[in-house]
Amino acid sequence: MRKDALRDKVAVVGVGCCRFGENWDQSPPDMIVDAAYEAYADAGIEDPQRQIDAVFTGSIYSQKGPHECSDALKLFGKPVTMVSNYCATGTDAFRCGVMSIAAGLYDTVLVVGYDKPKDRGVSGPSVMMNAVRDLPQTPAGWFALCAATYFEKYGASRDDLARIAIKNHHNGTLAPNSFLKREITLEDYKQARLISWPFGLYDCAAQTDGAAAVVITRADLGRSFRADPVLVKGVTVIAGPNPQKDPGNDFLSWKPTGWAAKDVYEQAGITEPRKQIQVAQVHDCFSLTELLSYEDLGFCAKGAAKEDIRAGSFELGGELPVNTDGGLKSFGHPTGATGVRMIYENVLQLQGRAEKRQVPNVELALSHNIGGHPTACGIAILGK
Amino acid sequence: MSAPGIQSYGAYVPPTRLALGAIGGRPAKEGGPERAVAWNDEDAVTMAATAAVNCLRGFDRDAVDALFFASTTYPFREKQGAAFLAKALDLRRDLRTADFSGSLRAGLDALRAAADAVAAGSARRVLVVASDCRLGAPGSGLERSGGDGAAAFLLGAGDAIATLEAFHGVSDELLDVWRGEGDRFVHSWEERFVIQEGYQPRLVQAVQGLLERCGARAGDFARVALYAPDDRSHDGVARALKLDRGALVPPLFGRLGNAGCAFAPLLLASALEQAKPGERILVAGYGDGAAACALAVTDHVEKLEPRRGVAWHLARRRPVKSYDRYLKARSLEVGEWTPGSDPGLSATIHFRERDEDVSFRGQRCRRCRAVQFPNQRVCESCYAKDDFEPLRLSDRVGKVVTYTFDFFFPTPDPPTIVTVTEIEGARIHLQLVNAAPEQVKLGLPVELELRRIHQVGGRPNYYWKGTPVPEEPASA
Repeated sequence: MRKDALRDKVAVVGVGCCRFGENWDQSPPDMIVDAAYEAYADAGIEDPQRQIDAVFTGSIYSQKGPHECSDALKLFGKPVTMVSNYCATGTDAFRCGVMSIAAGLYDTVLVVGYDKPKDRGVSGPSVMMNAVRDLPQTPAGWFALCAATYFEKYGASRDDLARIAIKNHHNGTLAPNSFLKREITLEDYKQARLISWPFGLYDCAAQTDGAAAVVITRADLGRSFRADPVLVKGVTVIAGPNPQKDPGNDFLSWKPTGWAAKDVYEQAGITEPRKQIQVAQVHDCFSLTELLSYEDLGFCAKGAAKEDIRAGSFELGGELPVNTDGGLKSFGHPTGATGVRMIYENVLQLQGRAEKRQVPNVELALSHNIGGHPTACGIAILGK
Repeated sequence: MSAPGIQSYGAYVPPTRLALGAIGGRPAKEGGPERAVAWNDEDAVTMAATAAVNCLRGFDRDAVDALFFASTTYPFREKQGAAFLAKALDLRRDLRTADFSGSLRAGLDALRAAADAVAAGSARRVLVVASDCRLGAPGSGLERSGGDGAAAFLLGAGDAIATLEAFHGVSDELLDVWRGEGDRFVHSWEERFVIQEGYQPRLVQAVQGLLERCGARAGDFARVALYAPDDRSHDGVARALKLDRGALVPPLFGRLGNAGCAFAPLLLASALEQAKPGERILVAGYGDGAAACALAVTDHVEKLEPRRGVAWHLARRRPVKSYDRYLKARSLEVGEWTPGSDPGLSATIHFRERDEDVSFRGQRCRRCRAVQFPNQRVCESCYAKDDFEPLRLSDRVGKVVTYTFDFFFPTPDPPTIVTVTEIEGARIHLQLVNAAPEQVKLGLPVELELRRIHQVGGRPNYYWKGTPVPEEPASA
């Protein structure tokens, strides 16, 4: 593949994000409209019918295909595509939009990620049982499978996971669109009920509804929309084997993250991620997922995450702040929306618009999703 | 041709035990009388599968010509249990299968039919499995006296540990206990009628008829295994037959309970565990009449590798923590939701995946020898296409690669222990049963048992679960 095919070819010129939460009074189209119109306004788009050439949308709960989005926005007579790739869905929809512009098909594209899990009448994650071995446990159970092995080999513990949860809860209090705006203490963490060992309640992302949208355009058209367009440096989505049956899996990391990081760093020309990247939104569906990702994204050596956690390296004010808006922990995880919501936060950080969460001098920002069992990883890198 | 005989046996008793003192919600005390209860992922079929696995240990499964399955609590009205069991045991396809049902003596009836088939030469080896869950209505006598369990016997000509010398049976019409279409619980007539007119005289008649047929006296039998509805009526029959108390096989009330049509077979298995060469055994069962059988123990009994039998299972206990959990496990509690009416598992997917899901068969790549599960078209190790041979994994021992304790998975007794277990190199996502969280560790050796995985579609859906490899022998 050509590693330079995407770099600096596409600009993000508008972002929007609805309030994430248990949006009982909002339908998916309501949230799509909120997010998309905020992105239009951010890009200075006044006539989307004329200015948007194509739409890429991502959702995993919707049974209605791309029509749900095009009907909500009344964007007809143009191509609309729906992407589904578990938790990497939002990042993948963004990637498809970026590729379509880099390929020269369209000038300006709208990307919308959304999901509405709270219409199912289930308070926790779904336990779907369609076959006898499809899902012998819950999502917390899939992602907990690295804990026993990792703790034994590297000596990390629930205390390290707690620091991640406490950090993300704190950051969430600073983000206007977050769902949970509540600090927690180590004591709260330890008192919470267990969901799937070692995960207690505070290790798990909430279930919420949400939508986020971005407007992207040809890099050379970026300044015609706004003065500070953000450039796409690289974006990738990489598939991996089912870790539960992969005979080569050591249960110390989730393979697709390492593969995706290698690919996207080559695209973006990054050789020392910890030094070159100033802010990262990392998939924290469960606290341990964030911990493993520090290592698999090359922010620190394998097994060394606990030292950085204890040193506060990834907190606001630390060396490389992670999940500055509180992450999935505070926003919840409307699956299709999450990757786009992370891009929204990184664009604000790059443009100096992140208010109390602002990280100084951001040149490069990374967002990362991992989904499935987990079986797919998406990473996007944005810069100036 | 030599006389038909039992070549091997095995049993299964659920380790979950309900203290009789806890019934009604009182605090459960250790050490008092109890009964075995199948847990929420168990039923007559899963118990039968494990008893059969225990019976077949060390025997060639391909040599089995027929499988007879006896149960009054098999969950399907139309759909054969024996055919399912044959598939779960990965037996030959050109096998004869039949279900024996409708009566508490179905277990002995199946044993007799198997002996006849062997004697007639129409089958060289027949596997007989009897299994029942005796579910009593909350508060009923049967809730206290019933028990759940299964016993399996491999019958053949030659190499018998006990030859089947003679059978005698009587058939009768009597409305003493019954369960009609749509009834969840057993009904019975007045207890004095049931015992005095039904059970006691008929069991005595069957035993006396058997003694006449063999020209033997009761005292000739070193071990006598008698079916009984409860302890007191067991004593009554023993007195009527003037049996030596030392010869009576303990009927296990207060430990296992009356396991329906598997009860007499379980007592026979219990007798075989203790039997010495040259001894004679008498076993009698009741239900719509009565049936009795005489056996002669041979020298082979000492050569058979130790079996996981009744004593082995009784020694392996996991007391139920509360009556409330028992009610949940057997779906006896009143809840907010009625069982879903969704169509459940796709029948075509079940059909396509029967080798993996029911037989627990994986595959081995002919090119690189890597074992994988479930079956793939393209080898995940060397990428060869469609070049595999089947490999049964249900009788292998694996080891835990990683685990978690899932408190969110729906179960009456959280947490659910979930593992990735490596079996012959294949990584398999498995729930672990018969274990407490504190026992679970990386590298734990695990064997497999057939269980219910869930009830989607209102049907029992079966799959395999891991269980820690027990230390052998635990007792007996």
